[in-house]
Amino acid sequence: MNDRASSRRLSAKDMEPLLAVTIHLAAPFDLITMLTEVVAAAKQVLNADSGSVWLYEPETDELVARVSTGLETVRVPAGSGIVGSCARSRQIINVPDCYADARFNPELDRRSNYRTRCMLTLPLVDHKGVLVGVLQVLNKADGVFDENDEVLAAALAAQCAVALQRARMIEALIEGEKMRQQLEMARVVQMSTLPTTMPLVPGYEVFGTFIPAELTGGDTFDLSLVGQGLLVVLGDATGHGIVPALHVTQMHAMLRMAFRLGADLETAFKQVNNQLADFLPEDRFITAFIGILDTQAHRLRFHSGGQAPILYFQAATGKCVRHNPTSFPLAAMPLTSLRPAVALDFALGDILVLLSDGIYEYCDANVEEFGEQRVTELVEANHQLPAAELSALLLQTVRSFAAGSPQEDDITVVLVKRTGLTEATRRAFPRDMAAIEAITVFTAEVFDREQIDASLRYAIDFTIEELFTNIVKYSKVGGSDVEIAIAKIDDGVEVSLTDHDVDPFDVTQAPDVDVSRPIERRAPGGLGLHLVRRMVDSIDYQYIRERCESRITFRKTLHGEPMVAPTNTQKENDAEH
Amino acid sequence: MLNIELGADGLVLMAGRLDAAQSQNAQSFLDGLSGAVTLDCSRLEYISSAGLGVLLKTQKRLLASSGKLRLVAVNHHLRDIFMYSGFDQLFEIESAEK
Repeated sequence: MNDRASSRRLSAKDMEPLLAVTIHLAAPFDLITMLTEVVAAAKQVLNADSGSVWLYEPETDELVARVSTGLETVRVPAGSGIVGSCARSRQIINVPDCYADARFNPELDRRSNYRTRCMLTLPLVDHKGVLVGVLQVLNKADGVFDENDEVLAAALAAQCAVALQRARMIEALIEGEKMRQQLEMARVVQMSTLPTTMPLVPGYEVFGTFIPAELTGGDTFDLSLVGQGLLVVLGDATGHGIVPALHVTQMHAMLRMAFRLGADLETAFKQVNNQLADFLPEDRFITAFIGILDTQAHRLRFHSGGQAPILYFQAATGKCVRHNPTSFPLAAMPLTSLRPAVALDFALGDILVLLSDGIYEYCDANVEEFGEQRVTELVEANHQLPAAELSALLLQTVRSFAAGSPQEDDITVVLVKRTGLTEATRRAFPRDMAAIEAITVFTAEVFDREQIDASLRYAIDFTIEELFTNIVKYSKVGGSDVEIAIAKIDDGVEVSLTDHDVDPFDVTQAPDVDVSRPIERRAPGGLGLHLVRRMVDSIDYQYIRERCESRITFRKTLHGEPMVAPTNTQKENDAEH
Repeated sequence: MLNIELGADGLVLMAGRLDAAQSQNAQSFLDGLSGAVTLDCSRLEYISSAGLGVLLKTQKRLLASSGKLRLVAVNHHLRDIFMYSGFDQLFEIESAEK
C-alpha cells in the first residue's frame, strides 16, 4: 500500500459510507453481482463517475474485466498498462491527467465514446495476501482523486478483495457440486446397462458384480444370452470421471447390438473397435474381454483387447492358466487384421475368472497391490464354491488385505463356472425316511439320463441314504426340504446334499467303528459313515452361516481311491468255506 | 420297496431294497422268526446301515436262544458292505457266485 495514503487517518465522516458498503458486501452474492456491487460501492465512496474491476487469473497471469454489456471480456497481461502495472506492483496508481500519462491507452475511450480525465487504480489483495484483481475508478465528480481518496480507496479495496474472493470460492464450490451431480448421473447411466439378474445357463453358474469407486471409473460387464450363446464382457475405459463411464457404456450397448444382430465374434470385435476408434478422443481407449460361450459345445471363444490377465481355472489340474490379450485395447486405432480368437473348452468344474484392475491393483496401506498371485491362490483353493460365493470370498479377501485403504477404482468380477448341475439334476425332498424311495427313483433317473456308469450306482445310493438319514435324525432345528444335486463329473459323480435352516453339524467327523469286536459288543449305530468312507473318493462338509445352510458334497469315480482302503476281513471266513 | 416272505422250503425271501425306510417292516417280520433262519438274498439288491442294524439285532436275538441267521446268495455289493462293516465275521454268508 502507498505510504503516503496509509499514513493518513480516516475521519468519522469518511468512515460512514465505507462501513455502509462493507456491510452490503458481506451479503452472499454470486460473482457477477458481487462485481457490480464492488463497482457501485467504489463509485459511491469515492464519488466517481465510473469504475471497473479486473479479476486476476493466476493460470494465465492476466487481468480480465467484463465490459459494461456484461458478457464480453477484456484481457490484459499483468505488468502491462496502468491496470497491469498496478497488479504487478500492488501499489495504488493515481493519475490526475490521463492524457498526459504515457501508460494510458486512449483506445478504450475512443471505443466507448467516453473521456477519462483522472483515474485511481488500486490492487485488490485479500487478507491472506493473495492478489484478487484490480479496482479502477474514473473521473471524480468534483476534480481529481486526492490523498484522502487514496486512503479511502485502500480501505475499501481490502473489503472488496475479501468479498470477491469469497464469491469466487462459492462459485468454485458450486462448480464442484455441479461436477459431482454430473458424475452421479454418469454413474447411473453406467450402472443402468449392467445385468441385474444373472442369466440361467443349464450346466453353468454365471456371476457378475460391480462395485463402483467413489469417483466413477470406467468398468462395465455383460453376461447375457444372445443367439450365439452366452455373451461374456468385461470392459474398463481409461481414466476417471464422466467420460470413461459414458465411453464404456457406449461400448456395452454397441456390443449387445452387434451380437443381437447376429454378428460373429470377429466381426463384432472389429466393428466395435473401429467405431470407437472413430469417435473416442485420441488419448482414450477401453480394455475389454469379449467372449461367446457355446453352452452346448461348452466352448468359449474370446478376443481380448488389452484386458489381462484372463485366468482360467482347470479342474483337471487344479491350477489356473493365464491367457493374454489377443489384441490392443479397443479404440486405440482401427483394426486391419485380427489374430485368431482363443478357444477354451470348458470341462466340468472349470472356471473363467475375469477381474478388473480394481482388484489386481487394490493397494493396502503400504501401497502393495493385491496382485494376480493372491487371486490365483484363492481360486485354486476355493474352486469348489458356487460362483457367487467364490466372488464374495474374493471381495472379502481383498477388503481384509486392504485393511481400510480406500477403493480407488471400480471393481468388477465376472465368473463363469461349468458345474454340470442342471435344473433337472437338483431336487428337494421332505425330511422323512419315507422319502428314500423317491430319492432312489431320482438317482436312477439321473444315472439314466446322464449316462453315468451303473457300477457306481450302489455306492451313490448308499452314501446318499446314509447322509440323508443322518440329516433326518440328527440335524438340529430345520424344517425345510433337503436338496439333493447329482452331477456327472469326469469318470464319475458328484453329489451334494443341502440342508437349510440348521445349526452346523459336521457328520463327516463321525468316528470309525471297531468292526473286529465280537457280536455282543457290536451296536448298529455309526456304521453308515464308516462304510461311506470306504466307498467314496471324497466327502466335504461346508456350513454357510449367513443362510444357516449345511452342505455335504461327495465324489465317487470309477478309478478313484476310496478315502479309507477297505481291509479284507473276509479271508478267515473264506478259509472256512 | 422291499418284499419279505417265507418260502416253501423254509427260506426267508427278501426282495428289493432294505433301506432306512423299510427297516421297520423287515424288523417286524424277522422278530417273528426263531431257530436257524436262512435268508435268501438272491433278490435283495441293496442294503444300507439301517438294514445292517436289523440283521444285527435279529442275529443277537437268535444266538441267545441257540439259533442263528444265515445269509445265502448274497450279491457282490452286499458282500462288500458286510466285509467293510465286519459283518462277515458275525454271519455265515454264502455268496451268489458260489
